[in-house]
Amino acid sequence: MMNNKAESLNRRKFLRGTGVALALPWFETFAANESKRDPAPKRFVSIYHPDGVGLPVKADPAWKDWSWFPRGGEKDFELTKVLDVLEPLRREITIYSGLSHPAARTVHGHSNADQYLTGAATGGHGSYKNSVSLDQVYAAHAGEFTRHSSLVMSTNGGVGGPRGAQTQSYNREGRPIPALNNPKQIFDMLFVTSGKDAAAKLARSKSALDLLIGNTRSFGRRLSKHDQETLQQYLDAVRDTEVKLEKARKWIDTPVPKVDTRHLTLDADPKEARLYFKTMYELIYLSFLSDSTRVATFQLGRENGGGQHNLLSKAVGLGNAHALTHAVKKPKGWENLGTYNRYQAEEFGRFVQKLKDTSEPSGQGNLLDNTFAMHGSASSSFHLSRNYPIISAGGKNLGFENGRYLKFGEGNEDNQAGAGIVTDRGWQGKVEAEELPLSRLFITVLQRLGVEAESFGGITGTLGRV
Amino acid sequence: MSRIGIFILNRIGIIAWCLFASASLCRAEKPSQSSELPLLANAREVGRSKSALLASVSRKETSPPAGPPAANLADFKQHVAPVLTKTCVACHGPEKTKGKFRIDTLDPDLMQGGDGEWWLEVLDVLSNGEMPPEDADVELADADLSKVIEWLGPEIQKASTVQRSEGSHSSFRRMARYEYSYALQDLLGLPYSLADRLPPETASEDGFKNSSEMLQMSAMQFETYREIGLKALKHATVRGERPKMDVYRLPLQEEAFSAINNENIGEIHPLNLKAKKGEKAKKDVSLDKRNHSVKLNLSNHLPDEGIMRVTVRAGRSTMNADEYASLRLIFSAHTSNNANFSQVVSARDLPVTASADKPQFIHFDIPLSEIQRNPFRNNEEKFPRRDEFLTIQYSSSTRNKEPLGVLVDFIEISAPFHEQWPPKTHRDIFIESKNKSDEQVYGREVLTQFMERAWRRPVTTKEVDPFVALFIEYRLDFTDLEEAMLEVLATVLATPEFLYLAQQISVNHSENSNTISDMELASRLSFFLWSSIPDKELLEIARKGKLSDATVLASQVKRMLADSRSNRFSQNFVQQWLGMDALESVTHVNDRSLKEAMEEEPIAFFKEVLNRNSSVMDFIHSDYTVVNERLANHYKIRDVYGPHFRKVLIKPEMNRGGILTGAAILTMNSDGEDSNPLQRGVWMLERILHDPPPPPPPNVPEVDLTDPKILQMTLKERIADHRNKPACISCHAKIDPWGIAFENYDALGVYRTKIKNKPVDATSALFNKQELAGMDGLKRYLLAERQDQFSRAIVHKMTAYALGRPLSFSDRAEIDSLALQFRKKGDRLGDLIQLIIHSSIFNSK
Repeated sequence: MMNNKAESLNRRKFLRGTGVALALPWFETFAANESKRDPAPKRFVSIYHPDGVGLPVKADPAWKDWSWFPRGGEKDFELTKVLDVLEPLRREITIYSGLSHPAARTVHGHSNADQYLTGAATGGHGSYKNSVSLDQVYAAHAGEFTRHSSLVMSTNGGVGGPRGAQTQSYNREGRPIPALNNPKQIFDMLFVTSGKDAAAKLARSKSALDLLIGNTRSFGRRLSKHDQETLQQYLDAVRDTEVKLEKARKWIDTPVPKVDTRHLTLDADPKEARLYFKTMYELIYLSFLSDSTRVATFQLGRENGGGQHNLLSKAVGLGNAHALTHAVKKPKGWENLGTYNRYQAEEFGRFVQKLKDTSEPSGQGNLLDNTFAMHGSASSSFHLSRNYPIISAGGKNLGFENGRYLKFGEGNEDNQAGAGIVTDRGWQGKVEAEELPLSRLFITVLQRLGVEAESFGGITGTLGRV
Repeated sequence: MSRIGIFILNRIGIIAWCLFASASLCRAEKPSQSSELPLLANAREVGRSKSALLASVSRKETSPPAGPPAANLADFKQHVAPVLTKTCVACHGPEKTKGKFRIDTLDPDLMQGGDGEWWLEVLDVLSNGEMPPEDADVELADADLSKVIEWLGPEIQKASTVQRSEGSHSSFRRMARYEYSYALQDLLGLPYSLADRLPPETASEDGFKNSSEMLQMSAMQFETYREIGLKALKHATVRGERPKMDVYRLPLQEEAFSAINNENIGEIHPLNLKAKKGEKAKKDVSLDKRNHSVKLNLSNHLPDEGIMRVTVRAGRSTMNADEYASLRLIFSAHTSNNANFSQVVSARDLPVTASADKPQFIHFDIPLSEIQRNPFRNNEEKFPRRDEFLTIQYSSSTRNKEPLGVLVDFIEISAPFHEQWPPKTHRDIFIESKNKSDEQVYGREVLTQFMERAWRRPVTTKEVDPFVALFIEYRLDFTDLEEAMLEVLATVLATPEFLYLAQQISVNHSENSNTISDMELASRLSFFLWSSIPDKELLEIARKGKLSDATVLASQVKRMLADSRSNRFSQNFVQQWLGMDALESVTHVNDRSLKEAMEEEPIAFFKEVLNRNSSVMDFIHSDYTVVNERLANHYKIRDVYGPHFRKVLIKPEMNRGGILTGAAILTMNSDGEDSNPLQRGVWMLERILHDPPPPPPPNVPEVDLTDPKILQMTLKERIADHRNKPACISCHAKIDPWGIAFENYDALGVYRTKIKNKPVDATSALFNKQELAGMDGLKRYLLAERQDQFSRAIVHKMTAYALGRPLSFSDRAEIDSLALQFRKKGDRLGDLIQLIIHSSIFNSK
């Protein structure tokens, strides 16, 4: 081994976790665009929170204040106490209902974090297969412009287990990309020069590619003209790889952006959830501002709780976060869950506000105008994998028109389908309300980010009205 | 000739099947009524006696004219043009242009003109009796047909020879994904695949995944090769001292013993049948009688990498010869509520054959880094749960009063398991040498022998030089030789000489410059029969220049077919030839063991025909079938026991025999609820008759199921209704009748006589008015009238697979000569393989 184990493991972890432009899929397709660096970077960020939201039945006294979804129409919607913290940002956000992934509508909510950004049929038991996530499709497109193709974070870190994901991001082969959860480590990766190690590895690759090119040439001389043309494809592949190496090397030689760290608490821990969330959001903000990446995902906790997740609700003085969803029928149950969701919305709002308050370095509006920021869960009511509660913010320059509550599908007045359930009969129940595939929103998002996508997760077509 | 227009544009290389050297009519058979077809029992014999191809044997071969062949335009003008004008131009000329095809504008010069493939089509439809159609105003007299064919046949042959010498298609290609996987396994001695990360291949027009024109290369593919190569090398080699193994042991007997060498045991973890003291309800072993399994909690002690050897001592409770028992392994974890997974990790079920009083040891070797592991296993926190489970499941076929059980009296799990240290895979790369102390000399030795195996040929010092230089450069970065060397070897595995199958141009321009070298022949042979690189014996014979000797070659082919690696040939050829991938995308087979049996049947059938060197006409119909117990139950064939496939003689009333009635074929050409005659028809034409229909036109009207009249129709009626629409009739008339003949088999391939209480109507009439009375009629017709077409089809398919490239117009002469020899020798599958391998097409660049 060339250096001590812990360090190289870390490096491997972040090389893999953020794909430092070493093994980007579809890269070659976009290599031609390199010369025209677009002046206003288009960004995508997705925040995922497990466990869904509070959805009491209409007859319940808690319905008025603590039902997550807004009341009223597209423009004149009224926020309940859960989302009222977003009232100041009303014109910057869109709230959706009636969207879900068809392939996962009958899986248990505890398995949901896996499929939110992929739309894959991840199933309930037995062998397991996922597919590429939305952020990674965009990262494959935009990753070449930045030092890091994407920033993948979660409170619990790593990949989690099958059907118990602790990352929102899946690569082209459907394999989970490990999420980072330590602010110090994320900061170092983003803003502290990467080591000699990576440089040495690139140098070795360069030598290998040189050898292969020489070898291919002498091999080619012994082939017929026709076969030489076929071999040209191989040579092109080696050359493309060389170009990528050059780029990776350029990033190693390029100084990392200097960032003021005085306001950052890099040793923040999920135990102090407010500070921790704030720091993590701040890191996304800084990585966008410095154009270190244009793609980020952040998962708040894990389905079914466990580990750091359980600590998160301490920020609002409540116990075990996951248990809140099970205790809704207890006194103040809906209120407690609503309060926790409210806190998640509040932190998201703070981040959105900050993007809004910061001018785009290239001069085209503010950071928010060029960023599509999503916040959501793949469960609505208790363990129910339908009617995902989703908020998006920003993206004005990408063509998104905010300040709206968009209801999709049919047969779910006031989001009462599946409301009030607290047993597992709920998620296994028949799908009665008609919902639209969430992947259609994803396709719209991809197209507006400049990716020529026609389908995603087995679904074709865009979402109207967005 | 309505199909031609769309058809021809969509085919890259087409071979039409007809005899051209013969004066006798090669028109297959005037349409006749089903009643005139011979019975199934003697259809094969009758059909053979009618073979136009065989009838040509007696004719003397025309010797090739000296000098470059020229087009015979005189005969065309004098004999052929008048016939075509009289017969075809009315519909395919300036007045009417049916199927957007005009015959009057085809260039009669097949050498120089560009219409060769159109002329092939003309030959095709004339010889299959499809043109002129029955309802046309004109008729083509036999004498006139002879005139056309006597001219067209030789012209096509000449043109094909000319094109061939110019060499249009090449076998130069990279390995297909499955070949790369086998090559890596054979090269490094790894018993498992690491190539899953490579993107899947696209099949060629003929259905083959090893076809040169489809095998592309991209930066992503190239980088994946580099990653997999290095990973595989790391798996094959070891570093440092022999690691101690963790051992789990479940002693169910008094005597303490171990199945492994005691010296290397590290920690021992006894598996507790009962709860440990002080730990309520915590035991490591749970028996599940319903699922016939024992589940072991291995906690989180298993290493991240290396082989996990599972040893089970087991015996059968009863020894009835018609009952079978086997074991399989399932690996699982349950990390938190509803976050669980399980995966069968044993490559195949292993049989239990010993009796309980004399139990046997059964070993499974599982690569721990290649299976789904519990990602939390190394965490400090206890939640999510960190433990991993191994389930040993037994399955048995039991039908007696006293049920067959498997008695297990000992289970031992050890990891990382190494048979030897360093393992053979390591010593095969880092060979023993007296020069070990001199790194540069030793490095060159390691590289040379590795490169010769990877490149499948001797290498020169000059060729090794750059790799030695790379090694010297890398060496500075690493503390030991092995680690630096692995990166260099990974570079060898990324060279085109490993990844591609090449035919190099001859250095000395001798007269045999179009013949491949012995080394190249060795590779072509092993990729054909083993889907992988040659072994040492084959390379050695090739190196001595003996492989091209016909006797040596024949005996090597025999040896290779007897080797278990030839199972890859049977599997891959059959799966690709028959398009078995389609079975993966059907959703209506819920029984896993049934689906597996379905998938295996055509392969097992093929092996049976191959091993006995039987006639390929067995694929059309045979008086036997090759099944295992599960499939025999499905077919209602009695007294077949056990999971292995074997030949079973059948009676006509069982309605099986051959591959057309195989459940896989019938199931994958169904839509989930019912049979799909259209798909079955297309499948017949593409796979069996090698006469693929054109793709559907873009504006096909949908079958309107909201129309109550249509909804009431039977499937056959619906198809007929659809077919009669003008946009559809020309193609469907050619496809549907073949599929209708399969109607007695439902969506799972079960024989039926009724559909929704109406009797099955499986009778149809082909385009040439030939009536097919169900499967029996179809088989009789194929055997009586289409033997030549089927033989040519299989010669074509097998040759395309063997060469790894599409066949084209220019290969026609070779294929025709192969088909003739093949038929003469009695249509035997084993002979066909030898014929192809000894043919000049296989030995040419």
